[in-house]
Amino acid sequence: MATLTSAGEQPPAQPSLTFTRPVFAKLSPHPYLLHTLSPSDPSTTPSSRTNGRKPNEARKIQINTSSLSQAHGSALVRTGDTTVICGVRGEILPVAAIPQFRENKNRKYDDAGTLEEKGRKELKEYDLLVPNIELATGCAPQFLPGVPPTTLVQTVSTRVYSLLHSTGLVDVEGLRIWYTHTRGGDGDKMEGVEGEEAHEEEDEELEPEIKAYWVLYIDLLFVSFDGNPFDAAWAAVVAALKDTKLPAARWDPDREMVVCSGKEEQKKKLNVRGLPVASSAAVFLEKEHAEEREGDRHWILLDPDRQEEGLCNEVITMVVDCNGQDGELRIRSIEKQGGTVLGRELIRGFAGVAEERWKEVVAAMQ
Amino acid sequence: MTDRRRINGPAGTTIPPVFEDEDIKHDSKVVKGRSRAPDAVRRMFLKTGVTPSASGSAYLEYESSAKSGVSGLKLSCTVHGPRSLPRSSPFSPHIVLSTHVKYAPFATKQRRSYLRDPSERDLGTHLETALRGAIIADRWPKSGVDIIISVIEGDQDRASSNIQGDETWDMMNVLSGCITVASAALADAGIDCVDTVAGGVAALVQNAGEDSTPTIVVDPIPSEHEKILGACCIAYLPTRDEVTNLWFKGDLSASAMDLYTKLVENGILASTSANRVLVASLNETLA
Repeated sequence: MATLTSAGEQPPAQPSLTFTRPVFAKLSPHPYLLHTLSPSDPSTTPSSRTNGRKPNEARKIQINTSSLSQAHGSALVRTGDTTVICGVRGEILPVAAIPQFRENKNRKYDDAGTLEEKGRKELKEYDLLVPNIELATGCAPQFLPGVPPTTLVQTVSTRVYSLLHSTGLVDVEGLRIWYTHTRGGDGDKMEGVEGEEAHEEEDEELEPEIKAYWVLYIDLLFVSFDGNPFDAAWAAVVAALKDTKLPAARWDPDREMVVCSGKEEQKKKLNVRGLPVASSAAVFLEKEHAEEREGDRHWILLDPDRQEEGLCNEVITMVVDCNGQDGELRIRSIEKQGGTVLGRELIRGFAGVAEERWKEVVAAMQ
Repeated sequence: MTDRRRINGPAGTTIPPVFEDEDIKHDSKVVKGRSRAPDAVRRMFLKTGVTPSASGSAYLEYESSAKSGVSGLKLSCTVHGPRSLPRSSPFSPHIVLSTHVKYAPFATKQRRSYLRDPSERDLGTHLETALRGAIIADRWPKSGVDIIISVIEGDQDRASSNIQGDETWDMMNVLSGCITVASAALADAGIDCVDTVAGGVAALVQNAGEDSTPTIVVDPIPSEHEKILGACCIAYLPTRDEVTNLWFKGDLSASAMDLYTKLVENGILASTSANRVLVASLNETLA
């Protein structure tokens, strides 16, 4: 610069300071987001986020299933720059390996409701669903391998785990491997049919019993991470479970083990009940470091990305399902943490937003 | 002691499904044989920039062979850096490479655990050697770069049984894929290299019986051949005509010297094919 001025050249009159949007957003994220959310003239420029989305606009979701051949079911979910792969693999857990196994004998006298309740208990007690999440794939600069699972990984895995059990997504009947005792060596099929029809007269021997369970290992791998891991992970889990086909398995009494049939046409689809979809939103406050006060403005940002997650403290996740009879909206879970903005009214309003999101995600799944 | 930071599942051990014998025989009673010419590699798909938040990233997929149940290789690679080394680390006049190769739990026939096992570490060190020869390391003193590869799907036949010990040969294919994909990701990250390094595998196979004459093929799929006698994975820089990493495995007599040279030559051939795809894909991103 010194040489330039000594040579008598005119310095540029106006140092041009025009940065692109991403540069501004990176330099001072909070003021920039505030600026774009509250434009000076709302009639011409609508309120938008740094990433160009409207506050209640989620990223487009793309779902591909059955792309992995080693897993029994798989799904790839992509929302914006968050990409997650889910693989479901069934392994067999013999009843003998369960320490406190007791079979529910009076099963058939129960009505459907208690039967389902018991099924869920069975699923939980024997730990038949094993969801795990891997973020340490370099999917974002803060997630590098070689470190133990971070708190985020642990919480997301646990949330997926508890939601799997609380929604009762997987029907335990599809995971049981039955065996019907036969008295003689011959005609086992015949006797099996008889036992079905007239089990009242038959003695205990002919009753089918559970010999083993399928354990579903649900593994999630993040290829790319840009915020909102839970929604993407949950969508991937649901899509992968719907895609899962387990091979036909039977108990072989001679070898005392479970053998599966390798035939493609004998594979059975897993019975997945309902179609819950998670929607998350973060609350963005006007003041960056201050406590929320009466009268301060705030925005609810649906499907926050990585940068927005860093700016927001309060997060709400709602899991809804409209798959039941007459398409009624059912709320399966609400989780909210950090902050006091979201009251009863806002949460009720958010249910409508979650319903819209449900439609989008379900359309992507089909 | 179990890892309490993950969800471990039931206390009893679970068994991967065991299939009935007749079905297995029905599925793979004949070794189908190779559908390509001996010097033709499988088609591959390479794309850079799959992980926008990383400095560089790439995704590589090998075409799965015509037989169903054989999966193609699927790899995803991210590069983070160059960035300054932590204060605690000693001075380094050149860039410090750290490579991680990790199989996804659903990548192979056996479910993989989340902890890195020795074979994955082995792949990591081979990859590091291959890349070190290509990177101009002294342009970045006191800095480090992380290269992380996730094997989303390994090259394994789901139908065939495990008799052949396929894993050792599969590792070769995985390594060659890792080298190619890491090279693409390094270019995407803008790290200066002398050339694009790509991996290739050649193998000496026996197709019919014990006494038949072995032939050399490139890019072998273990399930397509009756027996693999030896294999060789090469990382090769085409414009410099340099080999940065050579990994040979197998059981060959020491006297057959030209067999070894032929294997290496064919490995280089496979590697140049991979390099063409790599360069074409990188040119595409520039256009």
